[in-house]
Amino acid sequence: MSLQNLILNLHHFWAGQGCYLAPSYDLEVGAGTMTPDTFFRVLDKRPWKVAYVQPSRRPTDGRYGENPNRVQKHHQYQVILKPSPADIQKVYLESLRACGIDLRDHDLRFDEDDWESPTIGAWGVGWQVMLDGLEITQFTYFQQAGGIEVFPIPVEITYGLERLEMFIEGKEDMYDLQWSDDVTYRDLRLAEERQFSEFNFRQATVKSLRDQFALAEAEARQLADKGLVLPAYDMCLKCSHVFNLLDARGAISVTERVKMIAQVRALVIQVARKYVGSGTAAEGGAS
Amino acid sequence: MEFLLEIRVEEMPLAHVRTALAEMSVRLAAALASRKIAVSALRTLSTTRRLVFVGDFAAGQPDREDVIVGPSKVAAFAADGAPTAAALGFARSKGVSVADLEVVRTEKGEYVGVRKLVRGQATSEILGRVLPEVVAAPSFPKMMRWGTGTFRFSRPIRGILCLFGGRVVPFVLDGLAAGDATTGHSLLAPEAFRAGSFADYEKGLRERCVVIDSEERKASIRAQTERLLTTLEAELYPDEALLDKLANDIEWPHVFSGAFPEAYLELPIEVLSTAMREGQKLFSVVRNGRQAPLFLGVADVAGDPKGVIRRGNERVLKARLEDARFFWEQDLAVPLKKHAARLKNVLFQEKLGSYADKAERLRKLVLYLGEKIEEKTAAKELIAAAELCKADLVTDMVREFPSLQGKVGGLYARRAGLPAITAQAIYEHYEPQSVDERSPASLEGALLSLADKLDSIVGVVGIGIQTTGSSDPFGLRRNAQGVCKIILEKRLNLSFGRLLDKALAVYGERLKKPKAEIIAYLRDFFAGRLRTLFEREGFRYDLINAALGAGVDNLYYARRRVKALDALKSSPHFEPMILMAKRVNNILGGPAPSAVDEGALVEKAERDLHATFAIVRDNARPLAAKGDFEQAQRILFRLEPLLNVFFEKVLVMAEEAKLRRNRLALLQAIRKSLLQIADYSQVVVEGERPKG
Repeated sequence: MSLQNLILNLHHFWAGQGCYLAPSYDLEVGAGTMTPDTFFRVLDKRPWKVAYVQPSRRPTDGRYGENPNRVQKHHQYQVILKPSPADIQKVYLESLRACGIDLRDHDLRFDEDDWESPTIGAWGVGWQVMLDGLEITQFTYFQQAGGIEVFPIPVEITYGLERLEMFIEGKEDMYDLQWSDDVTYRDLRLAEERQFSEFNFRQATVKSLRDQFALAEAEARQLADKGLVLPAYDMCLKCSHVFNLLDARGAISVTERVKMIAQVRALVIQVARKYVGSGTAAEGGAS
Repeated sequence: MEFLLEIRVEEMPLAHVRTALAEMSVRLAAALASRKIAVSALRTLSTTRRLVFVGDFAAGQPDREDVIVGPSKVAAFAADGAPTAAALGFARSKGVSVADLEVVRTEKGEYVGVRKLVRGQATSEILGRVLPEVVAAPSFPKMMRWGTGTFRFSRPIRGILCLFGGRVVPFVLDGLAAGDATTGHSLLAPEAFRAGSFADYEKGLRERCVVIDSEERKASIRAQTERLLTTLEAELYPDEALLDKLANDIEWPHVFSGAFPEAYLELPIEVLSTAMREGQKLFSVVRNGRQAPLFLGVADVAGDPKGVIRRGNERVLKARLEDARFFWEQDLAVPLKKHAARLKNVLFQEKLGSYADKAERLRKLVLYLGEKIEEKTAAKELIAAAELCKADLVTDMVREFPSLQGKVGGLYARRAGLPAITAQAIYEHYEPQSVDERSPASLEGALLSLADKLDSIVGVVGIGIQTTGSSDPFGLRRNAQGVCKIILEKRLNLSFGRLLDKALAVYGERLKKPKAEIIAYLRDFFAGRLRTLFEREGFRYDLINAALGAGVDNLYYARRRVKALDALKSSPHFEPMILMAKRVNNILGGPAPSAVDEGALVEKAERDLHATFAIVRDNARPLAAKGDFEQAQRILFRLEPLLNVFFEKVLVMAEEAKLRRNRLALLQAIRKSLLQIADYSQVVVEGERPKG
């Protein structure tokens, strides 16, 4: 089964569970958790079910296409169910069966792994799901986001698509995966990994990145002050990605690091508060 | 009657399971005791998905007789013995006839009263009321909510089975009703089934691939492991913590073995075993003390007939080892010094600067330590170790396996051809990780570890962070215990006060709290750690007090003091000497001058005491100075008979001021000598010791 069939199976399964299938978000993010379809929707009180593929960028994980397991951009399959259903573990196991994994032959375990993201003021309790020793999913009950206690409690299920597909195809090299029947992961991604690794680690202009950070940060602030929380949050995401690039360039000093993380965090918390307090949450305008 | 409670949860970590079992049992036992329900047995069982309590409780509360007191006897009966209106009214209100009233003697006099039999409540009813509190009792380091519920627990609760005497104990917890059904293994036998007793329950689970007793699961893992190892002609790299975790996490353990390509054996065993343990939770396997290209794993399955679990784990492990080899090679391509240069970008603590700043402080501290201790150290090698010991924090290997910090630096230093002493000191400088774990083997490693821990403690306390109650967010207690352990085990003979001064001084102006305040806090703090260590060693508390009372400036000597007291405590001279020392103390009261005017010693007994004391002091002083408190003490014992005669024959509080002052001065000089050994006034002797 190809990676795109895996995605189709997951789409089909979660749509059947009542999820809205969201398009991938069109900004660089480090994880599916950071897009508005998760970030804002876990904050308000209304029920929410969503599933989507999210390309996720982690500049420091770049390996010039030479590591069979690590890439600076991978793909997550993100599911949010709010409130978390009582039989969610069973439903999750069903989703794996729907992807053609016969669980009777395998060792599947929920291994303690709580999650925390200081940059977006969020933490949750949960596990990494291990299938024959391979981590295929992060399973988290959100407790806080944007510095706010969330309620009802959402559950987040994040599948690592490449990992899961390597398991299904029994491949040792990510680049050998079939995206579709006749297109491999190598065809699609190798050049990108090489070029972006070079960009992330060596060629990105530090001065320009610093400027971008400052611009996005100022823009986020003025938008947040005006209560335009959705564009303000986009600016926060830009800050976060530019920060990651600066980090990959090794250009951030001790004091700067602390300061920049605190800046982004403060903005995100301000945005979250305004979203919860203002009409945006009630308008249903997060995405 | 048999009690059975099973709380079904989503997978709980081992530490939380232990907390839940302990705190819930205590709460349950207390709730029953306070309601007078006899508990003949209560034990706990568990898996990561089940918290189980099995007990044998009385069927109900015992019946009891209550006496309800009414009006006084005088008010209740007229002189002729006829009941008054008060008696009649009281009897009516209690639903009895006047004949049932009896006289009750109270503190206030005689009253009339009535006895009423109160039937005990059924245990089942009481359980239904107290169990919601019992489940809410445990407090976990992190509590969570789920769904739309408001209950907080370690992980979501998904089902409750509760039986007493074979019947369901009805209660509801956060919308979840207790029943008599449970489920089997989540993948192998997920269907629900009912149980009428613990025997039923245990058997039903076993038929559905769940062993409910974690000890049995552990034994099964051990037995299967042994069988495999015999075939492989190999041994396990011991890891009790991993075994405990797996015995908790897995309901139906199956042990399997796997292999990895021999090429990865070029990686050190530390890296290999960590790569196996973290992530996949595999045991590393050794042959003749060397890593073999093998591992053992435990899966939550009945078996692996097709070998898919083994192959899956092999594939994942190979990828991890490939990564580790990549890190190993990448890291080694850069000299350790260059890694160290990047430490200025790594934060140690916001107010305490970067790790480069820390390394600079460590360099100064180990230089100081090397000069102050009696043993010879390799100064150049030690300083190099201080400069490089934190360098591995920026390496890919430590970023991947943080638990290998220090060890990786040491391995890289050895690979780079740095002196063996430097490499070993770096390797060991986080040891001891806890009181029970080993300290650095090398003296240089010990000094570096000591400097590192002390620097952290002084810094953290210096910016105003202190430990309170059970919270110890910066590992202050653990680090301080490490400092004490190293000093005691390496027998480092040095002034701790001056070492603290030095550790403060190397921080320069960074620490905002007043120095005197920091020092005062740390002295108490370390005395407390020292006390804990001595208590763990089993020394008597009063001997510990006596030893610490003589000063804690030299930690090593403090231990020698308590050992000397312990060694001599059964000597026939010990208690008489203690009593005599106390007598000296009592008569002296507060401090007094200790200069004795020999010409003013008039009585033979005081002249004898003075002469002997001079000899005793001259002999004991050098012994005490070099820490031989046992021998020094034996010599001091010789003063006891002379003091005895002195107190018998000489009036200390003489009329004549000159004589009195001189005698007090002699006693004061003796007290000062004794205090070099121990504060004897703290020792509790026979007769003073509290009874029981």
